[in-house]
Amino acid sequence: MKKLYFAILISAAVLIGACKKTVTLDLKTADSQIVIEGNVTDSSGPYTVSLTKTVAFYTENNFPAISGAVVKISDNQGVTDSLTETSPRIYSTSILQGAPGHTYTLSVVANNTTYTATSTMPAHVPFDSLTVNKQELFGDNRISATVNFQDPIGIHNYYQFTEYINGAQYNKSLFVFDDRLSDGKYISINLFNDSTRIKAGDHLAVDMYCIDVNVYNYFNQLDQSSGTGAFNTTASPANPSSNINNGAYGYFSAHTAEGRTIIVE
Amino acid sequence: MHLTKVYLSFLVLLFPTLLFAQVKHTISGTIRDKSSGETLIGASVSLLDQPHASVLTNSYGFYSILAPAGEYKLLVSFTGYTTDTVAVSLTHDVVVSVTLASGNSQLQEVTVTAGRNNNVTKPLMGVQKLSINEIKDLPVLFGEKDILKTIQLLPGVQSGGDGSSGFYVRGGSVDQNLILLDEAVVYNPSHLLGFFSTFNSDAIKDVTLYKGAIPAEYGGRLSSVLDVRMNEGNSNDYHVNGGLGLISSRVNVEGPIQKDNGSFDISARRTYADLFLKLSKDSNTRDNSLYFYDINAKANYKLGEKDHIYLSGYFGKDELGLGNTFGMSYGNTTATFRWNHVFNSRLFSNASLIYSKYNYDIKVNSGNNDISITSFIRDYHLKEDMQYFVNNSNKINFGLDVNNHTTSPGVITATENSSFNPVSIQNRHSLESALYVSHDLSLSDKLNVNYGLRAGLFSVLGAGDFYTYDSSGNALDTAHYKSGQVVKNYFNLEPRFSMSYKITPSSSVKVAYTRTTQNLHLLSNSTSSNPTDVWIPSSNNVKPEIADQVSAGYFRNFQNNRYEFSAEVYYRDMQNQIDYKNGAQLIANTNVESQLIFGKGRSYGLELYMKKKAGKLNGWISYTLSRTERKFDGVNEDSWYPANQDRTHNLSVVGIYKLNKKWTLSADFVYYTGNAVTWPSGKYTVDGQVAFLYTERNGYRMPAYNRLDVGATLQGKKTKKFDSNWNFSIYNLYGRENPYSISFQQDPGDASKTQAIQYALFRWVPSVTYNFNF
Repeated sequence: MKKLYFAILISAAVLIGACKKTVTLDLKTADSQIVIEGNVTDSSGPYTVSLTKTVAFYTENNFPAISGAVVKISDNQGVTDSLTETSPRIYSTSILQGAPGHTYTLSVVANNTTYTATSTMPAHVPFDSLTVNKQELFGDNRISATVNFQDPIGIHNYYQFTEYINGAQYNKSLFVFDDRLSDGKYISINLFNDSTRIKAGDHLAVDMYCIDVNVYNYFNQLDQSSGTGAFNTTASPANPSSNINNGAYGYFSAHTAEGRTIIVE
Repeated sequence: MHLTKVYLSFLVLLFPTLLFAQVKHTISGTIRDKSSGETLIGASVSLLDQPHASVLTNSYGFYSILAPAGEYKLLVSFTGYTTDTVAVSLTHDVVVSVTLASGNSQLQEVTVTAGRNNNVTKPLMGVQKLSINEIKDLPVLFGEKDILKTIQLLPGVQSGGDGSSGFYVRGGSVDQNLILLDEAVVYNPSHLLGFFSTFNSDAIKDVTLYKGAIPAEYGGRLSSVLDVRMNEGNSNDYHVNGGLGLISSRVNVEGPIQKDNGSFDISARRTYADLFLKLSKDSNTRDNSLYFYDINAKANYKLGEKDHIYLSGYFGKDELGLGNTFGMSYGNTTATFRWNHVFNSRLFSNASLIYSKYNYDIKVNSGNNDISITSFIRDYHLKEDMQYFVNNSNKINFGLDVNNHTTSPGVITATENSSFNPVSIQNRHSLESALYVSHDLSLSDKLNVNYGLRAGLFSVLGAGDFYTYDSSGNALDTAHYKSGQVVKNYFNLEPRFSMSYKITPSSSVKVAYTRTTQNLHLLSNSTSSNPTDVWIPSSNNVKPEIADQVSAGYFRNFQNNRYEFSAEVYYRDMQNQIDYKNGAQLIANTNVESQLIFGKGRSYGLELYMKKKAGKLNGWISYTLSRTERKFDGVNEDSWYPANQDRTHNLSVVGIYKLNKKWTLSADFVYYTGNAVTWPSGKYTVDGQVAFLYTERNGYRMPAYNRLDVGATLQGKKTKKFDSNWNFSIYNLYGRENPYSISFQQDPGDASKTQAIQYALFRWVPSVTYNFNF
């Protein structure tokens, strides 16, 4: 809704001759730091943890891998899985099976520092259907994906969606949604996109995850600080608060996963 | 507390000087404009050969002056008007009302005085007055003259950015300015993203900005008071005037209700930028709307020699709509009823009943999501102000202020099959009351003092549920309060003090100290101000904001007051400032107070100002050197950091040149240091996407801003019946792309790179407006 409002303002600004250009800024470079991304789902494994480093803004998007780390995931049922480095930056599980309601603990030892995080996999909420929404905005025909599902009443649920267009992950995957204002409703929400357009004939896929509150907060904050757009920028972008300790960037999420696919008409 | 005691004893010490008042006679009356009959605010009235007998008219044009029986010459002057002298034979109390002729059309310097040197002699400092006459020839965006844009050219006042109506005064935030329209608080002073302000200059008479010594009669905001007074209307004849512009037009009608006893003034305007949308071939585009309109109306009537009533109001609405998918409307409504009563020639009273409301309304109809969101803030306000002219060197101002606020943070209505539940966030009620007194005192020819005290009580009232939170923002406890039950009382004493010492007849030094408090806070965590930003009152969790400011200045006039110069320094300390947690949810959130963090602020600076008030060339140069900082736990390792609006240098140059009887040329130039901003110092990958790494809040600077605007006014043939002019202007003459914002993204053309994108709003905005008056 807020985004729609900003979209109108931007269109209005364009009407009166706003201009947009790429600029090169003198940006500092922070010391390289560890970035941990770990996921456990209710699908069958292996599950992966990736370890990379931060880089300077004006370098290429090649994020150095951290190899030789000791990575473990254990659940609250007494299973501990030691992950093996299966490809650069990727560490994979071998025996662990994720299930809703279980709590998982990640431990990473790298550069003589131990990083830990826990996440509890919420109950699975079925992904009912994927449809599309067509909207006219100042002459542009915008198509966005609509996800439809029944939110369970009485539980605070948090959802995350990842969108794929013709097999490629959509440029912005930070769609998170919580049922703060929608508890118990049948929910149909648009994954509002403002840079890539979906066209008729496209192969559209969406994965729906039920995530825990910390992971929701992480992605919600990441979205608010993503810094795109002329107006929709927070006054003070900041790093999202991670559920991993000792200053690591990234997150550890135990979540359910269910996908739907359609061909856009 | 100790300071307060010292202050109170000082107050008691000074009062006995009042007792020495001699028995004299009073000359009192009202000063008005000759042609329109409008009262003149702040006109200077003095007796020739009586050095102490010099006073200013109050907000209703009323003055009172005291002298022993005798023959006098009463001298009345006002900037931009021809000075008038009236012979007065004083044997008993007399009423002398004077009308002054506007020197507007005159070109000879001698006939138009630059006014008196009140800026030097009066103790009040950090005050800027503007009349609509002064600004009418300045070049402006879209040809719409706008007081909120013009005050941004004054020292100590910073622009909120290109096209913004928001402004920062001496390091305060946008919501720390008390913006009053005929005493009613205007909660959102902007239309259309701030490109227009809510103030239609046709309807405005006088604007005063207080940023240093704030008189005790004003309270409720930390950093400044912008007191805007509406025109009363011509009490002699009927007039219609208006303007036709490229994207907006306006019309104003004024005239007497009963000659010399009352008048009315109605102004309206509307933008029609969206009419261009109607030209579109696309049917959906044609259904979009984007416009605003507003109406100002005022009427006054004299009930007798001693009583005068005024009724004024404002109504404005912005409409944004996308077919029937999305609609948003928002606006302010104010109404003020005032009753002036002259008890006797020395005691003047004004009682005001004021209503003010700001609300927004959003409707979304997308798929089966049919929802609407509404929110408002509303005031019922009573003000009683008394002015007692004890004698020519003593004036006492005292009064009472009671304001009942209701805020509705958000009500969501939704249809049964919508994705959202209907939600109603509880309304909040509060009562803001204050008693104040201030004393204007001349201790000698050279030394003038104004001191006062405002005692304010802010009561947070039920009904409602009030929460307490732990450090991570989880609700610990809920307390239920019944209707009218006091949840929390905040009592604050706000001393106000200012003093001037005349070094020579045309120069002085001044010092001032002001404490201000604020109990209504605007929640806004994005770079641009949104109509959906919500005001919240102080509560059990949110404490009143408190500011203490000391300032000192040197004031000097040259060449018979044609030039004014001032240099002021200030230091301001601010407590209980508000910021937001990372990822804060501010819309429709019952626990919105758990999303806030509290800290401190400080600002200091030097302001230089040189103004030329008379002659063919008028204008001013204003320069501010300043620093504004904030300190919040957990931000930048708990150390002081520059606030967003911290701008080291801020320069404005304004010139208006009367070329001949037909042409008036004008220009203004603005330069300021870029805002302090937070930019990334690295990047990393999350979910196959690029995320940015931040190391420090406000550690970077936007590029410096500069802009030159030019304008020209062509006066048409002036007859008794008809007067018209053409106004041409170019905003941003050299087309500089001043960045409005800079954002960061993955390069859409090359996924292996990231880039910074700069948005600039305006390059060369030309405009033409035709103004008429008959």
